[in-house]
Amino acid sequence: MKKKILLKYSATKATEPVLASAIKETGLLVNILYADIDSSGGEIMISVDAPQHELERLLQKLRDLGVEVEEIRRVIKLDESRCVHCGACVSICPTQALRLTNDFSLKLDEEKCVYCEACIPTCPMRALKIGRW
Amino acid sequence: MEIKRTIAEINEKIKRGDAVILTAEEMVELVREKGAEAAAKEVDVVTTGTFGLMCSSGAFLNFGHSDPPIKFGGGEVYLNDVPAYAGLAAVDVYIGATALSRSKGMEYGGGHVIEDLVSGREIELEAKAYGTDCYPRREIKLTFTIHDLNQAILCNPRNAYQRYVAATNSTDETLYTYMGTLLPKFGNVTFAGTGELGPLAKDPNYETIGIGTRIFLAGAQGYIVGEGTQHDPKKQRGTIMVAGDLKQMDAKYLRGATVHKYGTSLFVGIGIPIPIISERVAASAGISDEQIMIDLLDYGVPRRERPIIRKVSYAELKSGKVEIYGKDVPVSPLSSIKISREIAEKLKELIEKGEFLLSEPVARLSTEREFKPMRQPERVIVAKDLMTREVITCKPETPIAEAARILARGGFDHLPVVDDSGTLVGIVTSWDLAISIGSGKNKVAEIMTRKVITAVENEPIESVARKLDEHGISGVPVIDAFRRVVGIITTDDISKLIGKRR
Repeated sequence: MKKKILLKYSATKATEPVLASAIKETGLLVNILYADIDSSGGEIMISVDAPQHELERLLQKLRDLGVEVEEIRRVIKLDESRCVHCGACVSICPTQALRLTNDFSLKLDEEKCVYCEACIPTCPMRALKIGRW
Repeated sequence: MEIKRTIAEINEKIKRGDAVILTAEEMVELVREKGAEAAAKEVDVVTTGTFGLMCSSGAFLNFGHSDPPIKFGGGEVYLNDVPAYAGLAAVDVYIGATALSRSKGMEYGGGHVIEDLVSGREIELEAKAYGTDCYPRREIKLTFTIHDLNQAILCNPRNAYQRYVAATNSTDETLYTYMGTLLPKFGNVTFAGTGELGPLAKDPNYETIGIGTRIFLAGAQGYIVGEGTQHDPKKQRGTIMVAGDLKQMDAKYLRGATVHKYGTSLFVGIGIPIPIISERVAASAGISDEQIMIDLLDYGVPRRERPIIRKVSYAELKSGKVEIYGKDVPVSPLSSIKISREIAEKLKELIEKGEFLLSEPVARLSTEREFKPMRQPERVIVAKDLMTREVITCKPETPIAEAARILARGGFDHLPVVDDSGTLVGIVTSWDLAISIGSGKNKVAEIMTRKVITAVENEPIESVARKLDEHGISGVPVIDAFRRVVGIITTDDISKLIGKRR
């Protein structure tokens, strides 16, 4: 099952190859969705497609290496009955999770969403909503 | 030989069920393949469509009389807490798309009231009147639906721009405009209009579209009242005023909307049939997205005349990427191409079934009208009129103590920080210096604000004042195109100006 995890780095951990070590040890394929990190620390959002026990092993390894781990428990919803496919959101979305298809229908690809929420107020129809669980 | 047919002849064919009708996009294909002459022979009608935010929209509503009677005229009327125009007779109001709710602000406005009306939902009416001998009642509060009204007439003074513009933003800050959210440093492009699908774009000389033309207006049959406000035919920016029975309309094509930090509006769906009366009309109905060019404007400049970054075709805009200075920039349409297409298809279907007949225009739309700017008695005051030109600056490596001395000696509060080439790299204020005492920091570089809010020389003073207010700051450096400091403006300068004006 695919899950998104937010890794929070302190200033000291920011310069160490933490994620690389965890990947090397677990052998899991980790997809980095975005990284906002500098010498004062920051965060990286990853997505991992693995069975629960393997995922847990990766997360434990990261915790052991001193990184704060937070599973993303958010969900973004496109209310199809409200959307008019105007596309106001598509150029605002930093990851192309929102895009217009060839026939100019709006498509939301949640896999790519990093929950930056930039699209939410941009939607003139208030058709995009973030849920937390 | 020029192919010619009359609208009456086309209507006869429609009634017989043998008229050939194409959507605007199908016509583009046909003209591209076979040319305008062949297309003119084959095709009788081309259907267009547009579905976009049209702020100049609204509806007249008539409530009938209460007992005892009340006169809204000269009083106040609110529909779901949104103010409606009451300067008419006793029980007529006009609800405009951009009017904002008193309680919900931009989240709910006149556009939403219109959508709710058309959807048959209950609306709250609240009115206050001054009372007369014939209309003694002073207040009324009730709920109603569109079915309770005598008339509900959508009447939009300016819709369906022939061509619009595309927008981008050169500044360092996100802008919230009627062209949507514009990301800093050319981060995105937005555009309005539907290009080759758009009604007036396909009859640019207004040969068939005119006063009285029957149109598809939000699911009902509406009419063109005349040229729209700001009709600007010489710049190919024609507009139309339209009207139709709101009670017959479909809420699918009238949607209330909120443009972030700008206001409320209304998505309006319009389709206009173009009778192919000549080869020339066939040729213009076949104009493609590649041939319709619009200006890509820099909304970073808050003036009436915004700089044109480049010309761009609707074909490039619809591709999803536009090139600006060698970089591919993502694009947002603001009109729904999907629903615009649907409208052109729907209109085609209605004509094919004989349920929608074409009409002869009563008169043509003006091809000569000039669009004038507002007559303003006062000159526009811009940053360079007000700024202090002798700006004292410091370097990032200047010691904090030295910077403090400079400010104290000069008796001012803002010290722009520039590098060796004179380029602005930061700013320190007397406040920054005060709070740095005892922090152990030595150089200006350690305490300066690096993301400096700036103004440009030709920026209207209203825009500068807005920046000061929004960012809660008391001064901005004025910079040139190379980010060199050419002046500084403070809240004091603006206060003095207002003092003088009074």
